[in-house]
Amino acid sequence: MADVNLTIDGKKVTAPAGTLLIEAAKSAGIEVPSFCYYPNLSLQGACRMCLVKIEKMPKLQTACTTVISEGMMVTTDSDEVRQARKGMIELLLGNHPLDCPVCDAGGECELQDMTFSYGAAESRFIDVKNHRDEQQWSPVVYFDRPRCILCYRCVRVCGEGMDVWALGVQHRGVSSTIVPNQEDHLECEECGMCIDICPVGALTSGAYRYKTRPWEMKHVGTTCTHCADGCKTTLGVRRCSTGTELVRGDNRDKSGINGDFLCIKGRYGFDFAHHEDRLHQPLIRRNGRLTPCTWEEAFQLTGERLRQIRDREGGDAIAVIGSTRTTNEENYLLQKFARTVLGTNHIDHHRTADYPALVAALAGHPKLTASMRELFEAPAMLLIGNDPTRQHPLLAWQIRNNVRLHRARLYLVNAQPIKLRRQASSFFAIPAGREAEVAAFLAGQDSAVAAIASETSPEAWIRWRDQLRREPKLVVMFGSEIRGDAVASLIKFAADLPEAKLICLGDYANSRGAADMGLYPDLLPGYHPVTEVGEFHKDWGGVPEKPGLSLRQMAEHAQAGKLKALYVVGANPVEELGLDPFVFSQSFVVVEDLFLTETAAIADVVLPAANAYEKSGTFTNTCGDLQLVKKAGEVTGTKSDFEIIVRIADAMGVAVRKLVPFGRGSRADMGQSRGAQSGEADRHSVWLEARGLEPKMSPFDPMAILDEIQRLVPGYDVSRLHLLAGMDQHTSLSGSGPGTKHDPSAIMPARDDLFSSGTLGRYCRTLNAVLENGHKLAAEEEVAAE
Amino acid sequence: MVSAGIGWALATSVVRYTSCKMSFLKGIAAIAKGMSITFREMFQPTQVENYPDGPGPLRGAKFQERYRGVHVLQRDENGLEKCVACFLCAAACPANCIYIEAAENTSAHRVSGAERYARVYNIDYNRCIFCAYCVEACPTDAITHGHGFEIAAFNATNLIFRKEQLLAAKPGHLGANAVFNQVEVAGGAALPVPGS
Repeated sequence: MADVNLTIDGKKVTAPAGTLLIEAAKSAGIEVPSFCYYPNLSLQGACRMCLVKIEKMPKLQTACTTVISEGMMVTTDSDEVRQARKGMIELLLGNHPLDCPVCDAGGECELQDMTFSYGAAESRFIDVKNHRDEQQWSPVVYFDRPRCILCYRCVRVCGEGMDVWALGVQHRGVSSTIVPNQEDHLECEECGMCIDICPVGALTSGAYRYKTRPWEMKHVGTTCTHCADGCKTTLGVRRCSTGTELVRGDNRDKSGINGDFLCIKGRYGFDFAHHEDRLHQPLIRRNGRLTPCTWEEAFQLTGERLRQIRDREGGDAIAVIGSTRTTNEENYLLQKFARTVLGTNHIDHHRTADYPALVAALAGHPKLTASMRELFEAPAMLLIGNDPTRQHPLLAWQIRNNVRLHRARLYLVNAQPIKLRRQASSFFAIPAGREAEVAAFLAGQDSAVAAIASETSPEAWIRWRDQLRREPKLVVMFGSEIRGDAVASLIKFAADLPEAKLICLGDYANSRGAADMGLYPDLLPGYHPVTEVGEFHKDWGGVPEKPGLSLRQMAEHAQAGKLKALYVVGANPVEELGLDPFVFSQSFVVVEDLFLTETAAIADVVLPAANAYEKSGTFTNTCGDLQLVKKAGEVTGTKSDFEIIVRIADAMGVAVRKLVPFGRGSRADMGQSRGAQSGEADRHSVWLEARGLEPKMSPFDPMAILDEIQRLVPGYDVSRLHLLAGMDQHTSLSGSGPGTKHDPSAIMPARDDLFSSGTLGRYCRTLNAVLENGHKLAAEEEVAAE
Repeated sequence: MVSAGIGWALATSVVRYTSCKMSFLKGIAAIAKGMSITFREMFQPTQVENYPDGPGPLRGAKFQERYRGVHVLQRDENGLEKCVACFLCAAACPANCIYIEAAENTSAHRVSGAERYARVYNIDYNRCIFCAYCVEACPTDAITHGHGFEIAAFNATNLIFRKEQLLAAKPGHLGANAVFNQVEVAGGAALPVPGS
């Protein structure tokens, strides 16, 4: 678009035609205050705070609704403008209660800030304020009506952004009020976006309200530990009598791939960390009962037994199950430990997507994966299977807003009438379980159409495919329904389009990382087959070359009495995968977890682990975006999985330096030189840790393993600077090993919905409160799409 | 030059001789004057405060109204705590000695007049410098300086005062000093008096 020249406060500004005056001013570094204006939402013109003087216009104009024009002369700061803004603040404060000391927004309230800037400290209103009692709309949303300044941000973000339309406006003029969709309560996705976006304290969070004040917390921006989208969530951390406590999660830091977005799990799903069932002490089975013991005893016993079994029975008698919620460093370390120390390839994890098949099919097409950011810019999107609104909330947000803001085309194929169909330019329903045929049909196999054309005619399918073939920059997304050969077909189709890209949807926070880091019986990190001698074999000094057993085979192996030891890290195969716990009764079982899960209950040693919010490292989201995980909280009596693995290796008598190449960094000030003030040294090391800046002096330093990952795993050689600065870095699969074809039935999609999240979700008080509240999603038929 | 120097030395020696005699007399006069005050005061009634043997909870100590002693957390006219746990005192405190945990009032368990109250309110008197910034910051006039001063302790951990130790026993309209002076009222001691 052509550029337009204008003058704002004497500054010459050039911006593309069609830009709003408020945005043009912002780009020139001039702040125009506003409440109702919010980037990427529709214009409201309700608060009238952004009034500016434009030459040759008789009255002040609202900068948020005025489009710039050539030669415009704008004044944003004059006596007249200031007077107008002061008047607006005075009117807004007319019925606004003066309960800032109690209000949750106090300290981060836009109305407070504006009152300080534009000063309306004295009110001329002497009437009694019109009070209304606070209303609880849902377990997590509270509404305090007198505090509301009617900016309608919540209404717009709920409707336009989330496509939920659960909030509305009742009455007109001065008696306008925000109301929920069910008269006195909300039925919605409980994402809490309305709370985050509220400029005042009218909408407050049930999980955080009245607990503390914003300035009392330390704010740590880390990666969410729930679904595989990898949103950045900012955790508010406070010291408490038992250590440090996570008080709230929100979207204060908007630099993440999720921008403004955060769903219920990212916002409220941190309270499992303080659940009363959390383990704080290692347990050892004595006389058939799990009894508390010291860490030393637990490490000693585990190390001793694992060494005995390895030496007597060989690595074949030991199996390892990894986690989809531990960091990349821990996953890498675990499989390195399994392969080099335990001498076994029997290592697997809960597979939720067929990444090896993706890699195998991608061979020769290096840049064929899309990042989460690229999805938002894509002109066309194809989604086969999955329901992102429930399973990938950020992905759904990106799709919805790409359609809304960039007029992107969305092609949907699904067995269910999923909610995203309201954004779709075409929606094709297929019989359940026929997704593979869609892929085959796309790849040019016309005979497959018979299986899928139940509701739509074969001709329509062919027209649809022709249309897709004319979309050069298509992003193809597919869920776990597409596995094995179907992935290959899809890639065959995508490879013919000049710039098509793919996203394979896994289910857990680090499902992709677990796959990339080689938690497979036959694949090393970077999908390198164990059978082929390569970098890893050389670097580690030998890897067993016979492919190991998958999860199911491990159970059979145990049943046959050949499995003497099972080491489970952060997984619950008994519950999630339905493994029979009794087959492991003859094995020595070690479980690392946060809670006494069904799997931990059969263990001989249970080691209480730290969760992702209590350690540093990196996660890879389902698109392949590598992000930093920062340490926020701390719970007494737990250790990170990284430390536990290293300690077990040490107890087995292994030279730990071979496992974790630490001690090559420079000397660093750990804070001792900062005086003997209480906690200073401690706080400094916490600071270093939180930023992933440990000086690699300790064997428990994940950064030492990250070095090795970046050196050896293809695609992970991203900019360390940008990674540590908190930015997402897309890892390309180019250079990855040839991948492999796995048994498609080994993939077990998580059964999680919007309000559940595997083991962690079971211990989330807020998520459970929402579930117990009998929460239905907003009935789709009742709300009209935009 | 030389004659002037001799003349100056001569003059100073004369002055020294005479002032020596004078200062002796002056000294006697001064002692007499001083002792006269001493002897006069010996027969006056005692002005010194009879601390710690005086009557009342202060044991004879007297304070200016503005004296900044151990804090008192006030109550409103209904007997509810005035503190709403806004954390402004903790934010204003230059010594970082105030620790608060907030909680929400319920109709069954109402502690303060507003939605929120301080479940935990600790002041660390190891660190407090009695600057009264907290008093100034308080939007609800909940925290004030009382006249408690006997807070020396053999164990530093005893110097962290909990809310129960700081809380006024009676509604606040009596004023901090009145509350302090009425330790004997029902409801227990308003302030701890270590050693008593």
